[in-house]
Amino acid sequence: MTTDHLAAFRSLAADLRSAFAQWRPGEPRDEGRFRDRALRCFRLQYRGIGAYRRYCDRRGGTPESVGDWRDVPPVPTAAFRSVPLLVGDDPGAAEVEFRTSGTSRGASERGRHPVLDSGLYRASLEPPFRHFVLPDPGGPGDGPEEHRVRILSLLPPVEEAPDSSLCWMADAVMERFGSDGSATVARGRAALARAGSDPGGALDWEAARARVEEARRASEPLVVLATTLAVAEWTEHLAAGGRRLELPSGSRLMDTGGAKGREGLGRSDVLEAVEERLGLPPRSVINEFGMTELLSQRYAPSAGPGAGWLEGPPWLRTRALDPVTLEEVPEGEVGLLCHHDLANAGSVSVVLTEDRGRVRDGRVQHLGRSAGSPPRGCSLATAELLDARDGAGE
Amino acid sequence: MTGASDASGPHPETHGDDLPVRPWHLPGLETPSEPEAAGGDAGRGSPWHRAETAGGASFRVPALDGERMASVAAAVRNASRAARRERDLDAVIEAVSRAATRLADPDSPWGRSAEALLRAELGWPAAPARETLRRMADGWTAGTLGDLVEAELGDPGLLDGYGPAPARDGSPRMRRAAGPPLLLQVQAGNVPGVGVTGVIRGLLVRSGLLVRPSRSEPGLAALFARSLADLAPELGRSVAVCWWPSEGEPAWRSAARRAGKVVVYGGDDAVRRIRARVPGDTELVPYGPRLGVAVMLPDASVRRAARRLAEDVCAYEQRGCVSPRVLLTPRTLRDPAARALEKALSTWVKENETAPLSPDEAADLRQLRGRAEFAGEGEARLVSDPGELRWTVLAGGEPSLRSRALPRVVRVHGVAGIGEVRRLLATLEGRVQALAYAGREGLRELADAAAVTGVSRLCPVGSAAWPPADWRHDGRHQLLPLLRWTDWELPGGEGRDG
Repeated sequence: MTTDHLAAFRSLAADLRSAFAQWRPGEPRDEGRFRDRALRCFRLQYRGIGAYRRYCDRRGGTPESVGDWRDVPPVPTAAFRSVPLLVGDDPGAAEVEFRTSGTSRGASERGRHPVLDSGLYRASLEPPFRHFVLPDPGGPGDGPEEHRVRILSLLPPVEEAPDSSLCWMADAVMERFGSDGSATVARGRAALARAGSDPGGALDWEAARARVEEARRASEPLVVLATTLAVAEWTEHLAAGGRRLELPSGSRLMDTGGAKGREGLGRSDVLEAVEERLGLPPRSVINEFGMTELLSQRYAPSAGPGAGWLEGPPWLRTRALDPVTLEEVPEGEVGLLCHHDLANAGSVSVVLTEDRGRVRDGRVQHLGRSAGSPPRGCSLATAELLDARDGAGE
Repeated sequence: MTGASDASGPHPETHGDDLPVRPWHLPGLETPSEPEAAGGDAGRGSPWHRAETAGGASFRVPALDGERMASVAAAVRNASRAARRERDLDAVIEAVSRAATRLADPDSPWGRSAEALLRAELGWPAAPARETLRRMADGWTAGTLGDLVEAELGDPGLLDGYGPAPARDGSPRMRRAAGPPLLLQVQAGNVPGVGVTGVIRGLLVRSGLLVRPSRSEPGLAALFARSLADLAPELGRSVAVCWWPSEGEPAWRSAARRAGKVVVYGGDDAVRRIRARVPGDTELVPYGPRLGVAVMLPDASVRRAARRLAEDVCAYEQRGCVSPRVLLTPRTLRDPAARALEKALSTWVKENETAPLSPDEAADLRQLRGRAEFAGEGEARLVSDPGELRWTVLAGGEPSLRSRALPRVVRVHGVAGIGEVRRLLATLEGRVQALAYAGREGLRELADAAAVTGVSRLCPVGSAAWPPADWRHDGRHQLLPLLRWTDWELPGGEGRDG
């Protein structure tokens, strides 16, 4: 049975890889194609993941009853902390397993996302990265050599954080798009601040300065990949020394993760500091939104008409739902974000998050994690207390 | 209970906000002039603060800076001094009781205002709002308050004047108790009505009170203070109630500097933040967050216990520090108990009106339940219907008191015996407010486990939500922590003064 499911997955993944590669930004969305592929993903996941099948059965959501991709039962992100969700139910079949940072919930609460085919992840992340992040993308069908640029990564190399989907992505784009002058100046997990962990002192600012100066001497733009917290740390480091490090003209900065855990650090503070210390205007700063539970990403410009609205490839659809009824809220209204990612073909494609946001014309305004239920009186939140008392997770 | 002054009731007001009555009572402070428009009037430097309750109702209160706080504090202290001269404890109890209990009287305009206020603040339907007020008012009657004072002090006269104390080395002594002239009370967004009980405790010890209510429920304590001012003006002026923002540093400093004691209801972070603003030698009395736990003993009748437990869980929307969130059973009873509780909760919810879930609560419940539905080996699984969010029963997993405060959520764990219950209680030592039991087998052993792990109350299941008025909240007295004592060593054998 498992072999059948895996064979079905391979066939679907091949189709998806080819579809992702053929995407032409700006082309109209093909609703029929998305629907067919989404339902194909659902059939595969329903049959191939026992826990998901039982979950769907309890809701009456089966391949026979679901005719619209919007009716596929969504899986709450918390489920990724319970069981490995992958087609075939054989964790040994995963090529790589990504883990959430779990920093806000304790180490034992880390979610895991097993990936059956890392090639599919690569296929889903490269075209949107090229379109939304790289300066002056070339025309369609260019070979791998055409788009190489200098990339400076402030994220640790993937071998030092092998379960980080973000590091994996940075590694993939450096391999695919990075020219010889590319480098990473971060070392160790501590440098990974995607979800609020302490960036620590694992970022080598001297090496970063040398790379920037090299790029300037070569008159080549630089693409910087970093968590938002690392960017803030960099600009603070420069400010503390009263220094400025102008990035070459045409450079880009992709930041991700937001200012989690840093009270009072607003988006405009980050952009202002980047302009002042790195000479990069907000229009050259692109905010990336990704989740361990999703293999596709969204990107938002930091200036101009679409500022703050995340766009993604057509194989990632996002809806804002009423958390009580799970009905879609009217366009532009705030709801709980639910993503439908075809790149997740090997796990579960429909993921219900704890994030609030708006959706308009297919773009998403991310409003951060739901504040959580308001404090309920003198009722105790035991988790923090138990953790504080014995340092143990659940 | 409706006296002549009830006919008028609280003055109807227009605020440009969502609350039917004004959520402040500030003796000694002129209300700032009304803003011209409902919005845009509460920026920096504005005489108003605008905020929103957790239930989404917007409200507006006069902004308190250090100077305004000082005026209010002075007015409250002076009024409290005058009230002490004017009324003895019995008269205070009489006035306080009348002012409070009419908030729960649906025939009184005060009662109707209180109910409308809770509904607006919390987004609750009428029935739970009315029921909460009715149950709370049981603790506000003159008889109950008198009993409380007597139970804690022995001699209530000690609050009005000196009374005899045991002689030492043959020398006669007298003793007297009083709360500080000014008590700062910081309330939590907890069960509505508890704030009124807090104010009453301060009045019983004859203090003037500065009360910062919760943003979630800012109005009921203020309405009580106005009800009191309507019946006993001096006493009413010895209480000030007004919310101000957490970051309102000058207001905090001004209030904390003037208070003789500070009472804080709230989580560890809130207590720490406030402690940092209180002068080092001012006593701070914290009432921290707690939770309720239920235990089914081996001889319990599972169905009956489940029905009663459902009542404890559903009371006050499970917001109370006494609300059970975890049920511990013998291992063999775990699954039948979980199923019986599921049924009992479903019956309760269908027969009673409940508050609508907020989007944040629903979002949290979706994750909690989703995780349980995908439960791995050894994790808690969902017993309830996946399509129904109003109640949730989870069963199994490693026994633990780990739980989150969400509406009507209970985790059921099977345990090996009382020894394991004791071990679990010890993990939250001093934080379990109520331990509700069903059955008798091993009850004595359970009671001993409760005592050594700092459980403040052991009660039959079905009564956890309704502690008696003289229960030792957080395991300590209600009035004694607010008091200061004066011992008077007499020259010769004199009796009670006055």
